[in-house]
Amino acid sequence: MNKQINTRCVVTGLGLINAIGNDVNECWTNALAGKTGIDVVKSVNADECYANLGAEVECADLDKYQGVDRATKLCLKASEEAFADAAIDISKEDASRFGVVMGSCVGGVVSIENYVVNGQNTEDIRKMAISSIANHVANRVGAGGVITNVGNACAAGTIPIAYACELIRAGVADMFIVGGADAFASVPFAGFTALHALSEQPCSPFNHCNGITLGEGAGAIVVESYEHAQKRNAKIYCDVLAAGISSDAHHITAPREDGVGQMYAIRTAIANSGVDAKEIGYVNAHGTGTGKNDNAEFLSLHTIFDDVNDNLSVSSTKSMVGHCLGAAGAIEAVYAIKALTENKIPPTIGYSDEDLAVLAEKAGKIDFMPNTMKEKELNYVMSNSFAFGGSNASIIFGKQAGDVKETENDAPVYITGFGIVSPIGNGTENYIEKVKSGATISEASVKANVDKVDFDKYDVKMAFYRKLDKFSLMQVISGLEALSSAGIEIEEDKAEDYGMIIGTGDGPITTVYQFQEHITENGTKAGSAFNFPNTVYNAAGGYLSIKTNMRGYNVTVTNGAQSGMSSLCYAYNELRQNHAKFMLATGTDENSEVMERLYGQLGLVADGQAKLYGNTGMALSDGSTTIALEGAEFANARGAKKYAEVAGYGMSHAITEYGVLAGTEDSLEAAIASALKMAGIEASQIDAVYGFGDGIAEVDTVEKNVYGKLFDAKLPIHNVRSYVGESRAAAGTLSIAHAALTLSGELGDSQKAFFFGDEVTEGVADTSAYNYVLATSAADGGSYCAVVLKKA
Amino acid sequence: MNEKELEVAAKIKSMLSENLNIPEEELDYEVALFNDGIGLDSVDSLEIISCIDSEYGVVMTGVPKEHFFNITSLTKYVVEHM
Repeated sequence: MNKQINTRCVVTGLGLINAIGNDVNECWTNALAGKTGIDVVKSVNADECYANLGAEVECADLDKYQGVDRATKLCLKASEEAFADAAIDISKEDASRFGVVMGSCVGGVVSIENYVVNGQNTEDIRKMAISSIANHVANRVGAGGVITNVGNACAAGTIPIAYACELIRAGVADMFIVGGADAFASVPFAGFTALHALSEQPCSPFNHCNGITLGEGAGAIVVESYEHAQKRNAKIYCDVLAAGISSDAHHITAPREDGVGQMYAIRTAIANSGVDAKEIGYVNAHGTGTGKNDNAEFLSLHTIFDDVNDNLSVSSTKSMVGHCLGAAGAIEAVYAIKALTENKIPPTIGYSDEDLAVLAEKAGKIDFMPNTMKEKELNYVMSNSFAFGGSNASIIFGKQAGDVKETENDAPVYITGFGIVSPIGNGTENYIEKVKSGATISEASVKANVDKVDFDKYDVKMAFYRKLDKFSLMQVISGLEALSSAGIEIEEDKAEDYGMIIGTGDGPITTVYQFQEHITENGTKAGSAFNFPNTVYNAAGGYLSIKTNMRGYNVTVTNGAQSGMSSLCYAYNELRQNHAKFMLATGTDENSEVMERLYGQLGLVADGQAKLYGNTGMALSDGSTTIALEGAEFANARGAKKYAEVAGYGMSHAITEYGVLAGTEDSLEAAIASALKMAGIEASQIDAVYGFGDGIAEVDTVEKNVYGKLFDAKLPIHNVRSYVGESRAAAGTLSIAHAALTLSGELGDSQKAFFFGDEVTEGVADTSAYNYVLATSAADGGSYCAVVLKKA
Repeated sequence: MNEKELEVAAKIKSMLSENLNIPEEELDYEVALFNDGIGLDSVDSLEIISCIDSEYGVVMTGVPKEHFFNITSLTKYVVEHM
């Protein structure tokens, strides 16, 4: 049954750093003054590049953050400001209901460059992944709830605001710090140079449209439930109303020229916010300054607002702070909120008198805010972000609560299909066969393989697959199998009903690393236009949406190895909150020579055969597992086979140094307790656990300690890493798939299992009477995810 | 093709295969590279321009698209402008 969600989400703290300021006040004052932060770049060698401008941050204060990547430094700076601005007394907060979600496009790419150029230092390795960003912020502010990052390239800064509100509305959390961060770096500079997407002059959105100017920075926003804000007597800036998130399903770098995907996101945000299009007074546009973006966005804005709104102002603050990639959405959300609350609109700078004459001809009734700010009474404002991979996000803030139309249903969510790419072969049938025959991994490093057989099976043509790196190929093949196995065919007029959450721990780090190696050797001007699109974390989800025409909710989440399982939790929430009718939840991580070097250097890979719970180190592996999820109504209407019901989930984070898992037992216990509570069952009702131990003593010990406390020593502990190795996010989702295949009987009546008595013993468990099972996963830094599955 | 052209064509073919990940067996010198042929797009054309520039010092930015039609037309353009 659907019911209205009445939970208000409000903004109570802001933080900002970019090329025109090191805090909100400075960034805001300079934006209103039309000050540019664009200059000749200093941090990247742009010699011999056709363009050499950038919008870099100058802030000596960043040096106080030691041992983290520059993107994290920027994020910490903005987050600390937002945290202080919100006046949160952490000693009075329930840390488990306080989360952090941060967006980033290129994450720790400065550290990847440092590693490649300056002697491959071990200390750079844990700074490379986007995952580290939210972890460091969480530890700094004392947040122990849902901690994750969004990797949707240039829309990554907007989506965390939306996700935080969804989780608050779901009752999972009370408060979040959300935002985004990206640092100026060689990889994106070389990549956009190769694409000829950089402007030789300062970027000129909706005007000359000769290309972008890259920037850097971070935006941070404290979002909490109105009740929580009231209870702690917080200053409230505004309400977050609703967001719209969609995928173009069109091209990996270029937006759809007809703006269909953008317009779906904008219209969804307006409709779910319960406001009328005529009430939107200001849009902080994506407005990158490329012809392709600006033409599509110009068309979208005119199509939606012409005829209904003759009082709309639109500006692009990128004209001053550059395109800050994964930080852009967060920075621009802060600007939109400041505009709303101060009734002042920052301009788009860079218009000459001639330009103004051209603008007057094409602007229609929309005020594109050339050159100078203006004061204007605002009630509702919108911020738009669009990205590589065809990702679109639009969000609305209001001075009033509005009439938000968010709803939730209480229908069971079922698992109805699987896609598996793994080192023991591809396809669910193959996996079942291998598990039944007792497949094991004997090498310390194993890799999945995707080839022509897979492409032919799912009609993937060469013109498509040749573009993809292995990370994306694995995701596309497992995604296509999941759709096929669930019996889904996507109809054009319902394409927005189908969404996906991609989970990955390391994303395309291999491709980024190789791109960096190439430009280190050949110069910034020699970046590969062909490879650059694959350096963003959401490329895999972008390709999958292009191949399948899935145009709905599309987000890539990344927080270490638990990302695969947390993608399922995210997708579940989207179904419950009626943002999609059908979702894919995936886990994908890659093994390669690069990953072997990085994990090997960290001392995590076994010398010979890895032994789970045997203190050997892990068998480094890779793969992609995709799970098809849908609500009861949709599944019943189409007669879908139900493998298992998702009965509950929990996510938690231990406040510990990033990269450490030891001593974080309480956090795993909290995640399990949340999952059990949501499922409405006791620990004693769990028939088996699908665990995460991988042979690394620190990981295995946490698991042994917690299960020893919560469960009977006779409880069977199954672990998919026995069959496929430590494929990180892929193994997390595979645990769910394996558990569902067990509950549905596909895997037979018995399976090998571990038993955590005084000693860990191996044996065989009768699986035929399982009713409730628990699956768990862990990430560096003490983030855990637990999911309860029930026999369908 | 003369000897020089054959040499350049072979090199362009191997660059296309290596940098644009096109299986060599799909690439003969006459097959259309864009649209209904191999299906290359504008991002690929940037990569082709970059490769030809760094290998032969021939700048193909802004060159009419018929010269990008297939390996033969690329070869002719490169040899004429080397």
